[in-house]
Amino acid sequence: MTPILSVRDLSIDYRTRRGPVHAVRDVSFDIAKGETVAIIGESGSGKTTLAVSLIRLSPRSAKIVKGRILYTNDRETVDIRTLPDDELRQYRWSECAMVFQAALNSFNPVINIWEQFADTARAHGLKDSKKIHARAQELLDLVHLDPKRVLTAYPHELSGGMKQRVLIALSLMLEPQLIILDEPTTALDILTQRSIIDLLGTLRKRLGFSMIFISHDLSIAAELADRMITMYAGTVVERASVTDLFYRPRHPYSVGLLRAVPRVSGAMGAVASIPGSPPDLIRLPPGCTYAPRCPLAIPACSEREPDLLPVDMPDHDARCILWKTVAEQVGNAEVAVAEKIATA
Amino acid sequence: MTAAALPRRGDRTLPRPLESAIEFLRLLSKRPSGLIGFIGILFFLTLAFVAPLFVPNQESGDVTQLYETPSLQHLLGTDNAGRDVLNQIVQGGKEIMSVALITAFLTTLVATVLGSISALIGGRFDAALVAIADILLTVPPLIVLIVISALARPTNFLALALVLSLLGWAGLMRQVRAQVLTLKERDYVEAARSLDLGLIHIVFREILPNMRSYIVIHFVLAMTGAIYAQVALIILGLVPFSGKNWALMLYFAQTQGAFYFKDAFWFVFSPILAIILLQLSLVLFVNALEDIFNPRLRSS
Amino acid sequence: MAATTPADTKLVAQRFPTTPRASRARHILGYWRHPIAQALLKAFLTVFVTTTITFFLIRLMPGNPIDIKIDELTKDGAMSYDEARAQAASLFSIDLDKPVFEQYLSFVGNLAHGNIGYSFISQGTPVMAIVLAVLPWTLFSVGTGLLLSFSIGVFLGLFAAYNRNTKIDHILSLGGSIISAVPNYFIALLIVIVLGVELRWVPITQMRGATSPGMQPGFTLAFVGDVLFHAALPISVFFLATLGHWILGMKSATINALEEDYVNAARARGLSDGRIMTAYVGRNAVLPLVTQLAITAGLAIGGSILIEQYFVYQGVGLRLQAAVTQRDYPVMQGILLMVTLSVVIANLAADLLYSKLDPRIGRAGGATGT
Repeated sequence: MTPILSVRDLSIDYRTRRGPVHAVRDVSFDIAKGETVAIIGESGSGKTTLAVSLIRLSPRSAKIVKGRILYTNDRETVDIRTLPDDELRQYRWSECAMVFQAALNSFNPVINIWEQFADTARAHGLKDSKKIHARAQELLDLVHLDPKRVLTAYPHELSGGMKQRVLIALSLMLEPQLIILDEPTTALDILTQRSIIDLLGTLRKRLGFSMIFISHDLSIAAELADRMITMYAGTVVERASVTDLFYRPRHPYSVGLLRAVPRVSGAMGAVASIPGSPPDLIRLPPGCTYAPRCPLAIPACSEREPDLLPVDMPDHDARCILWKTVAEQVGNAEVAVAEKIATA
Repeated sequence: MTAAALPRRGDRTLPRPLESAIEFLRLLSKRPSGLIGFIGILFFLTLAFVAPLFVPNQESGDVTQLYETPSLQHLLGTDNAGRDVLNQIVQGGKEIMSVALITAFLTTLVATVLGSISALIGGRFDAALVAIADILLTVPPLIVLIVISALARPTNFLALALVLSLLGWAGLMRQVRAQVLTLKERDYVEAARSLDLGLIHIVFREILPNMRSYIVIHFVLAMTGAIYAQVALIILGLVPFSGKNWALMLYFAQTQGAFYFKDAFWFVFSPILAIILLQLSLVLFVNALEDIFNPRLRSS
Repeated sequence: MAATTPADTKLVAQRFPTTPRASRARHILGYWRHPIAQALLKAFLTVFVTTTITFFLIRLMPGNPIDIKIDELTKDGAMSYDEARAQAASLFSIDLDKPVFEQYLSFVGNLAHGNIGYSFISQGTPVMAIVLAVLPWTLFSVGTGLLLSFSIGVFLGLFAAYNRNTKIDHILSLGGSIISAVPNYFIALLIVIVLGVELRWVPITQMRGATSPGMQPGFTLAFVGDVLFHAALPISVFFLATLGHWILGMKSATINALEEDYVNAARARGLSDGRIMTAYVGRNAVLPLVTQLAITAGLAIGGSILIEQYFVYQGVGLRLQAAVTQRDYPVMQGILLMVTLSVVIANLAADLLYSKLDPRIGRAGGATGT
């Protein structure tokens, strides 16, 4: 089956006074139909830059220097990079919908929610108000909101959680194949986070869309994702299924991320943050960009940046020449790494 | 983010104020209109305060040359008594600039102090002061000034500056107050307060340095407001000044009906041009300042 | 800081019990918060404070006009002191024998009846009548000029922001700066001496006055045309004087609005640039400018004292200038009051307009949970 989205060697630079910032470097991944992929990384890892480039909404100072973004639906395959403007506008939201971070400010404050639904529908050629209204009601029901109350409301009258739900409802309006969510739960309190995650899980099962979500929160990945991609300093450092990554990581950075997650249950484990800070993306160090912070680094690591190497599990790659060492340290047992490290 | 290395004492080749002045000029040179404005301001300051020291004041004129058109002898022509217009322009800027500078200084001072204190004290005092400022902002300023000047004729430029300052502080006061209110919540102010460092210290050491840009911008804007108001008052004859003054030239021109007299064109037009160019320099400069101080508006 | 509430939990916050009396009191106090009530109160206070200050200014200043008038009237023994005093008092509509505070109260009382004194010069003509005869003309020219400059200026500012750093942007921004630097009365004066006298492009003598002599007032086309002809110059001046402010203000506000998240979110939804420009960027950017409409009007009216003089346009500015020359203090006071009242009303109207445009103001508003 052709993946619905296929990104190949995508590289994006930002123009700045000091020189080009290599925000995204040689990123490649596929999304299959109905699959949910989590892109995890710390701030500055390039994950948001990557995401916005998938709908070509990067700021003017950003430039895609190379790579391809191939999108496939029932009819055809297109390269998003070369899509003409009017087709791009159609592609946005009807094929691929992106829900931004901080839904708090995703709505025009001076018009009500109904107008924003109608605007979206009309922008894609739907003109019948009655039909749009019926569809809006249907969608708001799906996300457990009262249409009568929400449609006439203005954005400032809704809570953060409500706005996030409205955005999710809105994103489903044109039945896109792919929904991208950037930090969908970050600005919300923990109870609202729970309900949004549950909602996303339910909707996905019901409607079968593919999802990419960007986060720095590993737990949401554990809940919703099929596959996970960890990014560091603009590039993919590990690609694997969720279970593989949680139980059998093969890149020191992924291990560091897992180790940094405090556990709610059980004994106090060794929670440690990763020492050091991400590199300067204008002047990248030669070789592996994680080497300066990596506990396993050897001189060979700083010579040449490694390629994504397949590891001992299927469909699992890591950008580390010492993945075998990581494998030894972490083992293959069915115990999650975080647990294992804690009890060690 | 890598921490920038702090410059060591030995690295500095120039004293700090000179360094920031050079940096400021560098930023300004990126904005040609602002640079022109800055040069204009320097020009007018020189013209107003320095030039009269070198150009003698002409009290009487040649009565055989009334309302002459510009010639090599009189570059801007002569007035109704044969006096050289250019000479009057050179002499006439001092009072206007002085009043503008004093007024701007007074309003900025009053606004800053009142705004900070009001925000820090809060409560009814604050509410009362804000109400007063609101009222002052609503009332049409020139008309009030006219009524006040009609009642209490200011006879020297200091008095005029005082009158003009009565109204001008309201706008900046509210801005300062708003800024102080937000800064009040910031950590370092909390820290200073918890250390019981006293109101004055907090205002001058912690808060004001963050408001430098507002204050400078307001100062220049206050100057333009003061020039606007004083010129109007003088032209109306409400300020019985003597001596040379661009606005006075216009007052005399009006009372002599020179507006409608073709030959008198340069006598009327020269002070107008001088005042407009001065205002223009101030406005261009302040626009560039706003651009420099507001990173969002910076065109990258 | 994220404002969040527990979305669909079944937890209900414990509500504090209220007695019926407490809830009623809270209800009435709730009206206090309403922005319209606050705006009305502020308006009332402004007019009130202005009248109070004017009263005490006139009454208490050294060389106060009442004494001056008395001096004038008793000059050369034309009138006895008591007679002069009585006359001066009646012209100002105050009773000099009563203590100051009572005088003030009766002054305020008179005010409520629309009596703001009598002109010194044209003996016996009530100031209110004088002012009402001229005020509408000024309000008409200022209002029209301002409306034109706002509509055109906002549009140009939006255009400049969208075409940032292009030639047209530089022209508009520089042009806006330049015309905003010229004092409004100078624009009028320059029109007179340059376009009128020097170049003779504008028939300034014909355009004098608010109407042509002999014109019959009425809603006829001829009359309206005549009014517009005579008001054309003042309107042009007010238009030019305020245009720059709107261009620069809208440009700055639009640049800020373009950086808002919801603009990007709208693009991500596939909305057209045109729709985003009008309903998303434009409508949000124009809001802060609406709040400045009334203040700009107040500043413009101030300049009218000279502008109307140059165009000989019979508005309130010209009348004020005459009053100043003639030292007609009741008229000066009356004009100050009426103009302040006009600006205050304009302020209220602008606030009302703003509350209609911005749904975040004046509604119950705020996160309502779940």
